[in-house]
Amino acid sequence: MTVRVITDSLGDVPAEVAGEMDITVIPINVIFGRINYRDGVDISSEQFYDKLASSEVLPTTVVPSLGRYADTYDKLAEETGDILVITNSRKLSASYDTALLAKERVQKRCRVEVIDSQTAVLAQGLLVIAAAKAAKEGARLDKILEGVRNNIPRAHSRMAFDTLEYLRQGGRIGKAKTYLGTMLKVNPILGIRDGEVYPFTREHSRARALDSLYDFAAGFTHVDGIGVEDATTPDEAGELARRLEARFPGEPVYRAKVGPAVGVHVGPRVLGVAVLGDRD
Amino acid sequence: MAEAKTLSGKELRAMFEAATGWLEKSSADIDALNVFPVPDGDTGTNMLLTMRSSIEESYQAANNSAAGVAKAMAKGALVGARGNSGVILSQIWNGIAQGLDDKDKITGADLVAALLKAAKTAYNGLSNPVEGTILTVIREAAAVAEKHAAEVSDDLLSVMEATVEGARESVANTPTLLPVLKDAGVVDAGGQGLYTLLEGALHYLKGETDQLKLRRPWMVASSIPLTARAPQMVGAMDEVPYGYCTNFVIKGTELDPYKLRKRLEKKGQSVIVIGDNSAVRVHIHTLDPGGIMHYVNPLGTLHQINIRNMDEQYRDFLEMQKERMPEVDTAIVAVVAGEGLTQVFASLGATIIVPGGQTMNPSTKDLLQAVEAVPSEKVIILPNNKNIVLTASQVQSLTRKKIEVVPTRTVPQGVAALLAFDYEADLETNAQNMKQAQSVVRSVEVTQAVRDTKLGRLDIKKNQAIGFLDGDLVAVADKAEDALAEALERVEPDKAEVITIYYGADTKLTEAEKAAAAVRERYPQLQVEVVQGGQPHYNYIASVE
Repeated sequence: MTVRVITDSLGDVPAEVAGEMDITVIPINVIFGRINYRDGVDISSEQFYDKLASSEVLPTTVVPSLGRYADTYDKLAEETGDILVITNSRKLSASYDTALLAKERVQKRCRVEVIDSQTAVLAQGLLVIAAAKAAKEGARLDKILEGVRNNIPRAHSRMAFDTLEYLRQGGRIGKAKTYLGTMLKVNPILGIRDGEVYPFTREHSRARALDSLYDFAAGFTHVDGIGVEDATTPDEAGELARRLEARFPGEPVYRAKVGPAVGVHVGPRVLGVAVLGDRD
Repeated sequence: MAEAKTLSGKELRAMFEAATGWLEKSSADIDALNVFPVPDGDTGTNMLLTMRSSIEESYQAANNSAAGVAKAMAKGALVGARGNSGVILSQIWNGIAQGLDDKDKITGADLVAALLKAAKTAYNGLSNPVEGTILTVIREAAAVAEKHAAEVSDDLLSVMEATVEGARESVANTPTLLPVLKDAGVVDAGGQGLYTLLEGALHYLKGETDQLKLRRPWMVASSIPLTARAPQMVGAMDEVPYGYCTNFVIKGTELDPYKLRKRLEKKGQSVIVIGDNSAVRVHIHTLDPGGIMHYVNPLGTLHQINIRNMDEQYRDFLEMQKERMPEVDTAIVAVVAGEGLTQVFASLGATIIVPGGQTMNPSTKDLLQAVEAVPSEKVIILPNNKNIVLTASQVQSLTRKKIEVVPTRTVPQGVAALLAFDYEADLETNAQNMKQAQSVVRSVEVTQAVRDTKLGRLDIKKNQAIGFLDGDLVAVADKAEDALAEALERVEPDKAEVITIYYGADTKLTEAEKAAAAVRERYPQLQVEVVQGGQPHYNYIASVE
């Protein structure tokens, strides 16, 4: 029986990749005022950013109920006896705790393993894609689980921001708060370390920030997955992807959109790169 | 002491105390010996403060032998060193102390040995020694002393006379060695300072105490005829960084708070006078609290007198900050002048700011205190001024912490370096990245000429605006905004992306906005940012990246 892989929508796995790789994505709820949208189901990335620009209230996010996770397990258990759930960092959302508690509610006979990716966005996505690939190739759950554990320290992301205001308001800013309140207009480059948002560097212009993303990714000597994601600037993402394809010939560069749930916390014009790989 | 055969430790101290007094008389004139007609690093003041620290420490000498006193003076010079000339002067003292080895008294021959060692030590301390400066003067003076002792007489007084004469000739000759001096029609300020010190020492040896009291040192004239008008006093050091915070209340009848404030404003900084004709509260920062008391005493009765040493206050402040600051692996000490720029550096993550800059060069000790105050074992120093880089490089020898100096020579270089700081990287990697980032930015600085001069093809009138690009004078205009535009033109900003304009304490936001609008119009593709820098002396500092 093929192992089935589940993740939450905070991993920004592109919908077509999810379909192809049989990845089940649990949508995080995005709430504007009193209206609830399911990330990627009721609202696309483009619709979200349009709404964000015109909305008078700032949206928030809520992880779906235990029941929603449990229902998803039950549904998949009709097809498989082994389920692997790879969640967003438990320091950033309640997805892991919910996924873990939901195991108790499963009606069907089925083994469910929940693992904290200790990261988010496309770095989480790359971990999920690698696990789904192993599952497709017929690997057993224990083997896949071990693979994910080994891959967690190899999953990296860097994101260029125009503003940290959304991160601050959403309460996910972590140590990057040292980058707040600068009196100069700077472009922070953040990533995730120890499961939290971490300030890595700052550039004085957007162009330099994009170069910095490229330099970060290009510095890897061996990659098992690489991807670029944008919120509202597809041209920049395309250019960055082209440069990375030239740097890593034969390695597909995934193109993803910053999804609505992540978008609530990072805001528009964010551009990110994610790498599953090694530096030496 | 007309037939001085030897000099004891006590006499050595007394001799240089007298020499320091002699230097003090001309320190303002030495300050004015600037290549560029801008308020600069205040060579005279810096050397004076370095010598004062040296003399102060000499009283802590382990013993009263000549070598013991010299060692203490070297230590005092090191911690008190300010500015490039101060640092080199401290190296000279280091050499003198080494040259005296363990001598109890100094003979003429010992003096020669000490001077030769001093010259050597001064050169060795620098990665890129420049001729036509204080370095040349100590080397040539030592050589003359050596020759005199060998060929004429090795009597102490006779050697000292020859040394002073050698130094004078060497100072007069500095403009032939250093073209910038020739262009500006001045001799090297550090060289002049050293000559004045030696001359003061000679007066003491000769027993000419009246000379020392009543006369003023002569400034050495350039051996090349002046092409520009003689330099005038520079209005630098307009801010006394430390002193005594003095508070008291006067009670009386017919007090005039307004008149009192006017009077006190001439005697100190941060003057606050509030009250009415029966009671007045006074707050003033002054170097002479006794003088203030003496002045106000006849006005009424004095109450709640509180005088605090601000050096100590500053230390307490640093201690307090230490507890407040978050634990960081690598801390950054930045030297910055101006409220706005201080905020910019603090907001970008500088751990501690040492106030200082163009006319307020912090001493090695000031930087050392900051380094010791931060709760990290690894510290990066951003001097942000060409006159502070050398001072910063002295700190490592005084602390067990690991220091990296990123030799930023301008504010924009400092900002660029700070932006490149990576929380994850280790000290060496960070220093390397920051040096790299510093080299990419171009710095434009606009200030006002403090005297008429001619530099290269540029004819400059007093009070005209002058613009520098990476330290080179490139623009002269009647208005600061025009000098800014002209200097920016030289950068070829069409290749750049961001221009950040920091406007100074004496520049209005509306003027800065107008200047920025002109830049935007000229280079529409650029991102132009206007930031309140609040820096003294400079109307504008701009970075081009």
